[in-house]
Amino acid sequence: MQIPHWDKKDLIGIENLSRSEIRKILLLAKEYKKNIGIQNNHLKGKRIVNLFMEPSTRTRIAFEVAAKSLQADVISIAEKSSSLTKGETLRDTALNVQALGADAIVLRHSSPGSPLFLSRIVNVPIINAGDGAHEHPSQALLDVFTLEERIGSLKDKKVTILGDILFSRVARSNFWALSKMGAHVTFAGPSTLVPKRFESMGAKVSHNLKESLSDADAVMLLRIQHERQSSSHFPSLAEYTRIFGLNKSRSKWLKKGAIILHPGPINRGVEIDSELADSKNSVILNQVTNGVAIRMAILSLCTLSCKK
Amino acid sequence: MTTICLKGGRIIDPSNERDEIGDLYYHGRKIISENKAKNTKYYDATGLIIFPGLIDLRCHINNVNDGNCENIYSVSKAAKAGGYTTVVLMPDLNPSPDNSATIQFIKDQINKDACINVELTGCLTKSSDGKELAPIGSLKKAGVVALTDIPNSPQNNQIFYKAIEYASMFDIPVIDLPRDLSLSEKGNAHDGPEALKMGLGGFPRIAEELHVQRAISIAKNLDTKIHISSISSIGSVDMIRDAKKKGVLITADTTPEHIFLTEKNICEFNTNFKITPPLREEKDQKAIVNGLMDGTLDCISSGHKPYEEHDKNVEYDLAPEGVISLETSLNISFKALKNHESFSWLKLIDLLSLKPSKILKLNGASLNPGMNADIVVYDPKVKWVYQKQNNYSNAKNSPYDNMSFDGKVINTIHSGDCKLNLKEIKSN
Repeated sequence: MQIPHWDKKDLIGIENLSRSEIRKILLLAKEYKKNIGIQNNHLKGKRIVNLFMEPSTRTRIAFEVAAKSLQADVISIAEKSSSLTKGETLRDTALNVQALGADAIVLRHSSPGSPLFLSRIVNVPIINAGDGAHEHPSQALLDVFTLEERIGSLKDKKVTILGDILFSRVARSNFWALSKMGAHVTFAGPSTLVPKRFESMGAKVSHNLKESLSDADAVMLLRIQHERQSSSHFPSLAEYTRIFGLNKSRSKWLKKGAIILHPGPINRGVEIDSELADSKNSVILNQVTNGVAIRMAILSLCTLSCKK
Repeated sequence: MTTICLKGGRIIDPSNERDEIGDLYYHGRKIISENKAKNTKYYDATGLIIFPGLIDLRCHINNVNDGNCENIYSVSKAAKAGGYTTVVLMPDLNPSPDNSATIQFIKDQINKDACINVELTGCLTKSSDGKELAPIGSLKKAGVVALTDIPNSPQNNQIFYKAIEYASMFDIPVIDLPRDLSLSEKGNAHDGPEALKMGLGGFPRIAEELHVQRAISIAKNLDTKIHISSISSIGSVDMIRDAKKKGVLITADTTPEHIFLTEKNICEFNTNFKITPPLREEKDQKAIVNGLMDGTLDCISSGHKPYEEHDKNVEYDLAPEGVISLETSLNISFKALKNHESFSWLKLIDLLSLKPSKILKLNGASLNPGMNADIVVYDPKVKWVYQKQNNYSNAKNSPYDNMSFDGKVINTIHSGDCKLNLKEIKSN
């Protein structure tokens, strides 16, 4: 398998990727997925450091599995077990990680822009695994990958992203990825979490669930992130579920064959009914599996392109 | 002692609407008229612009005498390089100027270290925490020129109202930085299109505008003066314009950054563009420029706020707000305003010198005989590049590193004291 030419050291976000760069990652991921389970040595001898300053299950493990599948050494550092709890700055932690021989750093951090900040400080590739409400590029790439697998080309397809958009990096990265692939994106949810000003990005904004579901080819549900909100954004989870929760009867508003995505973690019974989450239209677990292939592609491209 | 004559320069003096080629005489610390000159030395000022020293109504330093951060010595050097002969320090000092003894301590430091006139503000509330009134009368007696809690603003309306009412008895200016914290507590950026993409935000226009309205209502109700600093929003400009039409005694300033930059400048997460209130959109920038030119906004304050490099070199949302600007204020203001249809040098110097001096009731900002010889000599033909390494300030957190400018301050004369970079000539 040939690793294509790639000239970006870091993966900071989707906003700055071109359509052809996105395609390159998707094609390589497709190759990796075909050969999943078969070990290859693309990153043999390379050291990948997962620097996770926020809790994560799927993303961290997917990056770990991806790196191991490429025979890289993986070191995972979580905030609670690092010197950041002793007052060390992110800058110094990253410089130390680099000095200890990292070939790439995968960063999850609550501060928007922190991967860009680190990319200016260290020489090794920085791969953004989610920075505050800014971007989550690997998630958007795996979502596009999963969507194309199920519904083919995204040109002129309609995708509704429903829920907490304001605090969501997944929504932003998906907006860039989907629009670059030709899809039309609607952001839907309560007006406090989906303010009108999202129209300035080029998205359609809707506060009406039925309307936002009725012509969608795919709907992506987002978790309501209590930890990022002050109490004033909406009255209660129960009210959210009553107005915007996707349940069996409301799923009839969807077009036939429309598929359901969720980046996880799911709050069953809040944004989505358990039954729907497990239905045949749901691709939630495919997303997780595809996440490994996508991250293999990202790690290969960034790590191998970087001349230290 | 000799008289100095700056000969044949373009003299800009807003205090008497003077913009003409002429000669300016000073002797010792004072400006004098030609007929009082004795043993005159003449210096060629042909092609140069001469105006009163700039006056900065809002400037911050971290420490009074600390060697590493900005201190009185370094800030006065930086200000002088930028054409300022007076700066007014905000009370976010260590120690906090909320009592007479501290004021005296800081004044002693100023007398020892400052190379220009450095004035002090006192806290409006104790420790600027917005809970109890500071001893306003005693602070005035100790010699502060204004009262303010900047960079804080009393959030409790009762405290703020009473502070204004109490201060009015002493006829001392009060300055507020309008910010409703309940609407902007975690505000890192303007709630605009750029910040929205970046996952930042949290300091909407309304957080400023509600407190602008508060200041207007209180000034009107008590028929007293309030100065509001650092206007950043289009809505605030409109409210101030309306209030002034109705005779409310409100005055306001903005910063060079708010007339020159917009939120688009933060797109690379560069913390040297993170200021408070945040940079907003082009329509705000335009409204503020128009507000300055039509007199709605009274003056330009530097808002100079120094940090050590490691304080700013962190994640964007964790970085403190503020930039240094004393050495670039004049050039940035000129760049931002020069293409406006109402631009004139008289107006520019009015905004940077005469108006702030009137608001704070300071003496100066005039080239009339008898005034202190606080004079700037500016060469409009000099091209130069600002580099933070060559700063006089101890801090480097400027958004303008490597920016080119046309025109430069070549001498700032404070109380007649300056080694002139001009050619001495015969009298005629």
